[in-house]
Amino acid sequence: MTAMIQKGEEVHRVRKLFRKTRFGFFALFGIVVLAISILSISSVSRELRDEYVSNSESIAKNIADSSVDILLNRNLATLQSLIDQFVQIESIRYIYITSDTGEFLAHTFIPGIPEEILASDPSATEPVERSLPGLGDFVEVGSPILSGVAGTVHVGMDLERLGLKIQRAVGQQVYLLCIILVTGVLASIWLVNLASRPLTELLEYVVALARERGGARSTHGDVLGRDDEIGDMARLMRYVADDAGLARDEGTTAGGGD
Amino acid sequence: MSLFSGKEDSELKTRIGGGGEGEVRQKQPGTMTRRSLVRSGLGALVAAPWAGGLGAAGVHSHPGPRDRAGATRQDDEIVLGVSAAFSGPSRGLGTELYRGSMAYFNHVNENGGVNGRRIVMKLLDDGYQPDPCVANTIELIQDESVFLLFNYVGTPTVTRALPVLKKFRDQQVYLFFPFTGAEPQREPPYGEFAFNLRASYRQETAGLVDNFLSIGRRRVAVFYQNDAYGRSGWAGVREALARHGETMAGEATYMRGTQFGASMRGQVEILQARSPDAVICIGAYQACAAFARDAEDLGLHIPVANVSFVGSENLLALMREGRADADAHTRFLVNSQVVPSYEDTSLPAVREYHELMARYDPPPPANVDRITPGEPYTTFPQSFVSLEGFVNAKLITEIIRRMGDNPQRSGIEEAVFAVRDYDLGVGERVRFGPNRRQGLQMIYYTVPEGERFVPLEDWEGRFPVS
Repeated sequence: MTAMIQKGEEVHRVRKLFRKTRFGFFALFGIVVLAISILSISSVSRELRDEYVSNSESIAKNIADSSVDILLNRNLATLQSLIDQFVQIESIRYIYITSDTGEFLAHTFIPGIPEEILASDPSATEPVERSLPGLGDFVEVGSPILSGVAGTVHVGMDLERLGLKIQRAVGQQVYLLCIILVTGVLASIWLVNLASRPLTELLEYVVALARERGGARSTHGDVLGRDDEIGDMARLMRYVADDAGLARDEGTTAGGGD
Repeated sequence: MSLFSGKEDSELKTRIGGGGEGEVRQKQPGTMTRRSLVRSGLGALVAAPWAGGLGAAGVHSHPGPRDRAGATRQDDEIVLGVSAAFSGPSRGLGTELYRGSMAYFNHVNENGGVNGRRIVMKLLDDGYQPDPCVANTIELIQDESVFLLFNYVGTPTVTRALPVLKKFRDQQVYLFFPFTGAEPQREPPYGEFAFNLRASYRQETAGLVDNFLSIGRRRVAVFYQNDAYGRSGWAGVREALARHGETMAGEATYMRGTQFGASMRGQVEILQARSPDAVICIGAYQACAAFARDAEDLGLHIPVANVSFVGSENLLALMREGRADADAHTRFLVNSQVVPSYEDTSLPAVREYHELMARYDPPPPANVDRITPGEPYTTFPQSFVSLEGFVNAKLITEIIRRMGDNPQRSGIEEAVFAVRDYDLGVGERVRFGPNRRQGLQMIYYTVPEGERFVPLEDWEGRFPVS
């Protein structure tokens, strides 16, 4: 019994227990942060992308609606001027307008229209992803002009820039979550320490009580004076120890009378 | 509407008088945000039929209060508002056009002006950029109350300024003789706000296509500035080819503002892959010179044509600069012009141009070199661009003269339509009317000979098909 309750060993066990608790806290926070980050990346990228596509579709429709008279008047200079203004919008990298016969009437490509675009369906309006050599990756949306009988407007969105925006948005969220994680872990360590210190003291007191009752009373008087559960337990143990000692003493005295 | 900071305003806000000691005020392209640029541009394009009911302004002297009541002022100046490229890669165009006009206005002002009034140009620099041009136009109309707008330079700029004129239609401000052959200021819905003197790009490109096809060069490609100007010329080539049952052999583009030092290898290679017989360039002199240089260097030995806007002398000077084989390097160039050769002194206007340019030798606007520091501008004794400016000034002076002692904006259109068979001295009579808002129709073709462009007489001999 005496060997089992070596003071150092017991304190070490208590610390190990709380280390596990702290690790548990950290793991739990980490899982929460990871889960929120994954969800955030997924939802932010999806929503940003949807928003970009939606904006591009609106722009394409806007150009298509504005182009009708210009096209019918064969005023291609004004048409070019119109798309030049829209292409200044961030993330819109190219715009081109094809006629109902598929001819390219106006575009913003320099130094020329890429072969991939030339080979594509000029009347397509569904969003499509394109990788243009030397230019990058794009999502292209289209909008028919006068229900397609006057042509089609195509707007290309820069996926690289979109990716950067997503990265920035997600990065900000992950950064915030990391701060919460670190703060949470530090707070939990502090709380666990707060709880473990009196328990350690209690354990030390019990150990001392078991080893040397008289010394314990004088050395660990502060534990007995605590106004919390630890103090209650210390007093209870003191009481039990005293009671056990008294019984033992009485037993010894009675035995000596035989 | 001022987009200047106070400092810029005080430093650059100047005016130019008849004495030729003019300065130009620069509009900074970066002073508007991207959002406001787009918004202003879109607003301009959809026009503004809700223009307020302001009365026509009379002639006024700068600086002075606005006169929107339509009353004639008894001042001694007629102010013409100019927004043009006095900075950037196309500044040679705005500067030479201005110099040509100033040579004639100096002469007029020295001889008592027009009906006792001096002709004065209020210059604003737009650097050949659309948004500053829009802002300049609003300022010239609203703040400066100029009598009319004159000598604007460029299609992307003019195309965007036209809706401003529609917005202020009740003030009857007209744009005279812009240095562009594009269609927007010749057709509805903005044609009624402008008067053109020069032939159109459609006519220039049609002439070039017709001539190329006539000598067996049927595969015509286009190298163009990717904006309203380039598109206007591109459309002209396309239409001209379609009339012959042909289609464009290929096309390549460049960005407005490209400098001579830039490589055009990519554009040349795109066109080379299409094996054209000739290339028509719709661009400014720096980029077109770069393209012609690289085409020659990369073995694309076919005629390279430029339209009048290119500024032939500026282009030639760039291509010849520092080259021992300059003549060989420019042998495939052919440029269309909208004024006759300044070498043709058999024409009275050309003789007068020579005389007045020699007498006044108008310097560039005083602060042009300050606008583009470190790049002093070297003027040309004669050039097609300054001759055009000279002819523009000659005709606007005649129109104002016809408006009598008390010229009003409301009388401008009538005065222009009265010009029905006017001999400007360029070998072609000028005629305007309600359905004819372009005075001249002739196209001239020129090729380099040494440091000058001379008339091209024999297309087949110059560009034989092997």
